[in-house]
Amino acid sequence: MENLILDCDPGHDDAVAILLAAGNPQLNLLGITTVAGNQTLEKVTRNALAVCAKAGIRVPVAAGAERPLVREQLIAGEIHGASGLDGPVLPEPAFDLDPRPAAQFIVDTVMTQPAGTVHLVPIGPLTNIALAMRLEPRLVSRVKSVVLMGGAVGVYGRTPVTEFNIQADPEAAAAVFEAGWPITMVPLDLTYQALATDEVLARIGAEGGELGTFVVEMLTFFGNQYRKERGLPAAPVHDPCAVAKLIDPAVFTSRPAFVAVELTGTWTWGQTVTDYRGQLGRPHNAEVADRLDTVRFWDLVTDAIVHLHNS
Amino acid sequence: MEKIILDCDPGHDDAIAILLAAGNPNIELLGITTVAGNQTLPKVTRNALAICAAAGIEVPVAAGASVPLVTPQVVAEDIHGDTGLDGPVLPEPTFELDPRHAVDFIIETVMSHEPKTVHLVPVGPLTNIALAMRKEPAIIDRVKSVILMGGSYTRGNSTVCAEFNIYVDPEAAEAVFRGAWDVTMVGLDLTHQALATAELQDRVRAIGGDLAQFVLDIWGFVGSAYKKVYEFDYPPVHDAVCVAALADPQLLTCAKAFVTVELHGQWTKGMTVANFADVPGMHHGSSEGLPMGAATTDVAMKLDWDRFADLVVDSISALAASKGQ
Repeated sequence: MENLILDCDPGHDDAVAILLAAGNPQLNLLGITTVAGNQTLEKVTRNALAVCAKAGIRVPVAAGAERPLVREQLIAGEIHGASGLDGPVLPEPAFDLDPRPAAQFIVDTVMTQPAGTVHLVPIGPLTNIALAMRLEPRLVSRVKSVVLMGGAVGVYGRTPVTEFNIQADPEAAAAVFEAGWPITMVPLDLTYQALATDEVLARIGAEGGELGTFVVEMLTFFGNQYRKERGLPAAPVHDPCAVAKLIDPAVFTSRPAFVAVELTGTWTWGQTVTDYRGQLGRPHNAEVADRLDTVRFWDLVTDAIVHLHNS
Repeated sequence: MEKIILDCDPGHDDAIAILLAAGNPNIELLGITTVAGNQTLPKVTRNALAICAAAGIEVPVAAGASVPLVTPQVVAEDIHGDTGLDGPVLPEPTFELDPRHAVDFIIETVMSHEPKTVHLVPVGPLTNIALAMRKEPAIIDRVKSVILMGGSYTRGNSTVCAEFNIYVDPEAAEAVFRGAWDVTMVGLDLTHQALATAELQDRVRAIGGDLAQFVLDIWGFVGSAYKKVYEFDYPPVHDAVCVAALADPQLLTCAKAFVTVELHGQWTKGMTVANFADVPGMHHGSSEGLPMGAATTDVAMKLDWDRFADLVVDSISALAASKGQ
């Protein structure tokens, strides 16, 4: 059993990550924290509560940073729509937010659990994580690992060289990569292998009952946006890839690298510069995911949805 | 018949580019200009003359810029050795340099030929080309095209993100990409497909004679360097691809992109950033602070290796035959 805090900005793929984290019996979801990213903080927080209501998930949800550390706010409305979770009808929240700011919730949770037992899984901009590690520096040595969705090595998203989560708060990301804790980076190169094909959606729809239908509606909207905006054949379902790693370490392979976040480039700010070969002479600071076992991945996602539907 | 000026910094793969330009019947090599790059200007200029001597080539050779426009000089000794062309025995030059600076040679040659008849083929840092287009802006309209070896859209070699020719003089490269002429970028994504494999080396060996041995000695040295530095099984023949593409219009598959050079990044300076017009997953809209320009550069994406290998072998055969070997 692995304990995790899921730090997210739902977001269609974030919603699937929540379902996987709550619906897999090998994971203990200690809480969900939200951060401005795919949409504004208010919207993504409401979406997190709506996903919990829809799936019958009862865990603390704490709202976090409403803007990046330094830069102007970016949102990904072109991909996630005006609500941040366009597509399905969203239910009303079934419970109230945790009163604490997300960074405080992260600090309190990690410091009250035994050392080395809590994973942080940030799948949005890294603002909350950077704030938490500055609020409580002991966090860095106390968490078991950080498995983050973000960055890009040779497959790019928002710009020709960047991925949204890192670009949305590059200073926070730089701090997280420089902290010295065990990091697994799940970049676009990996998540572009997690395509919600018609076959995948048909299976989730057939096996997942009403919740399955909700997921299919979400990912159908998401797929249409990716086809329209990026010319992709189906939606890459980024965020649950990071969660899946905690369930089954073999769900993807990874290679050690030194990852630097570019902060000063005119065209490249927010790029994750990934040095596998030691060209920069820096010690490795991350494992970078590179190949996904897509069969295993979609089995995990589908099983979690079925599990939540049945319970 | 395509007329070209080859602007180079020999350099092992530059040497093959020179042989291809001089030995291919579809190419008329108007002259060779040199620029500091793989090694210092005196070394690469001497190497250009030595290659001409080894292959019996008689064309004007003019020396150009000895340092980049702005960025401090870097050379690629790890790949090309102390001379810039370590490996083969280099013969003494058989003729004198053209007295003109490369920039003046380029301008005078382009302006004295009919409009849209001369291609510029820069396969080193773009210092000479940038200087020429600023000294005589009329060349921008007048050249037929610029087909350059440099940059990449997926990788670097000098740094994690930047390719050597662009990294060495990024300001010059940005000037060239912004010029209102037809530019084709042959980057590492393409040239890493242009490997001097065992098959290609065997075919050159079969030609026999001094020139074939000269080429094999070039690939012997640079192959070991690429093995050691980049863990490649065979060395890429980067620069020759640009010349080959003019000799055979079907050699490359290209896609249109907006290409710009990062000039300020701490980790990414000298990187070429490419926004493709219609490659799925590789097109990006303008966004805050990143006004994407028009997709005017042809970016080379796929090489027909068999045709490339034929062009290399045939040009070496032709030069060897005309030397009477």
